[in-house]
Amino acid sequence: MIRVHNASLVYPDHGREVYACREVSLTLSEGEFLGILGPSGSGKSSLLYILSGLKVPTSGTVEIDGKNLNAMPDEERAALRLKRFGFVFQYPYLLGYLTALENVLVAHSSTGEREEAMELLSDLGLAQKVHRFPHELSGGERQRVCVARALFGRPDVVFADEPTASLDHKNGTQVVELLNRHRKGGALVMVTHDPSMLAGAHRTLCIEDGQVTREIAGPPD
Amino acid sequence: MKSLGARVYLTRNLSKTLPLVGVIVLAVMLICAIVSMINSIPLSVRTIYHYSSTMMGLTPRGDAAMTATLRKIVEKEAPVPIGRIANVRASELEVRSIVGKWQFAVIALDTEDIQYLLDRVGTARIEGRLPSPGAPEVIISEPISRNLNKKIGDVLIGPEVDSAYSPQDVKVVGIAHTPEWLALADIGYYRANHFPPIDALLVFADKLSDQEKLDLWGVERFKGQRARVLAYHEVEKSSREMFQTLYKILDVVIGTLVVVITLMMGMLVNIHLGQRTQEFGLLQALGFTKKQLVKRVVIETMVTVVGGWVLGIFAATAMLSTVQRVMMYPNAYALEIWDEAAVRYTVPVPVAILAVALGTLLLRFRTFDPVSVVERRLV
Repeated sequence: MIRVHNASLVYPDHGREVYACREVSLTLSEGEFLGILGPSGSGKSSLLYILSGLKVPTSGTVEIDGKNLNAMPDEERAALRLKRFGFVFQYPYLLGYLTALENVLVAHSSTGEREEAMELLSDLGLAQKVHRFPHELSGGERQRVCVARALFGRPDVVFADEPTASLDHKNGTQVVELLNRHRKGGALVMVTHDPSMLAGAHRTLCIEDGQVTREIAGPPD
Repeated sequence: MKSLGARVYLTRNLSKTLPLVGVIVLAVMLICAIVSMINSIPLSVRTIYHYSSTMMGLTPRGDAAMTATLRKIVEKEAPVPIGRIANVRASELEVRSIVGKWQFAVIALDTEDIQYLLDRVGTARIEGRLPSPGAPEVIISEPISRNLNKKIGDVLIGPEVDSAYSPQDVKVVGIAHTPEWLALADIGYYRANHFPPIDALLVFADKLSDQEKLDLWGVERFKGQRARVLAYHEVEKSSREMFQTLYKILDVVIGTLVVVITLMMGMLVNIHLGQRTQEFGLLQALGFTKKQLVKRVVIETMVTVVGGWVLGIFAATAMLSTVQRVMMYPNAYALEIWDEAAVRYTVPVPVAILAVALGTLLLRFRTFDPVSVVERRLV
């Protein structure tokens, strides 16, 4: 579904070039749970941004269903993210003036979807909190709302960038389990520095200094 | 209800929305009220002397025999049919205006001419009666009664009144209910008691609609001759010229005010947008385009600014209504509560604020990178 070929992402830094990703090639299949594992600053988030169209690689190509993501205009790439991708970021970003339910529906305007969103929040253990505002929720609850927002509308791929980083281990594990359980056939790409969070992964890429150093079938050891 | 609709953001962020709206309301109210009040000065001139739009005054200069000559010229050469030519004398009277005392005239005519003039200005009814021939009596219109607080039986002009002298006490015997400002006395009393001993003329076009044409003809016809023409269009012209400098100052003051308010609002908008960086970053990362986000903020700003402007106009109207009721009407001062010129002066406020908000927004989005937000590098 997504194919990356020799993709590099270079940042200029005081006159020299810094590689966030260096000649990465990979393929993401439908329904696959791909783990990207590496220490802080290894370039794993940059790889996720390249995969999801949030960043355009400096060289190399990213294709989705055969279409070159790099060549798409900004608006088309944005539409792709909105319709086909879901995102969970490291920090549980929610719009403070919207309730949990409204945050889930933020990219959807049809009233018929309201019931579906309530059901999803209920499945994620937030049935009693759908009308609460973010400041009325705990960190774990906020991240679960972010998970619901990412899963809502059954995206083809959910990209999770260190989704457990701001949570304790118990909450973190719970969030990953929920993501994995409710993705309903969609692929999941999860970036983490914690190998225990990739217990359900079909494949794990280990990354260091922007390069894939090892590919493991299944979760990391 | 759309989660990202303008109503949701504005109503759920009242601590941000209300100060913005409040500043706009106050600014618009202030500008509208100031301009309306200043406009009330030339409006007063036009209102007080509007009665003269129904006639042309023709006064001989230095030669009493000129009156008959002038009458003949008008009868022979006037470009429109003449309804009446009345002999007239006059004396001074001071009326009060919002900017102090102004000269006005007590017009002395014979009884028939008084009745003709009252009919011509659309008098609805007369309280009391007309002045008797030769008697020191006067009939005043209702606005003058209010302005000078004179009722039937009061002395309007007399030996004790410095600014409105007459050898005898001239008492009010009637009040004419018309919006025009009028003080009409009997010409017999004036001929016997007032100086100079020269009759002037009031020339009435047969049709009121022809009066201006007659006035314009009079001004041209008697230019450089021993006669002076008094016409309403001259009053209008001089009131416009008189306040030109005042309006230039007003333009500078209002312009400065708009710049100050716009800068202040620009700063506020900038601060508010800065506080929303996280929101814009998140939405853009999720897949909203810059265009969609700019459109959304522009709609929110438009609702705030236009809403504030409309409320400001309402507030100004309410304030001017109160001023009119409490201060202006009892003194018969002229004030237009719904003054279109004043409303026009307020238009730069919302337009400038919108332009600044849009500029700030576009500047922010020019190099905005949502990744810097989701990675928490920016917030």
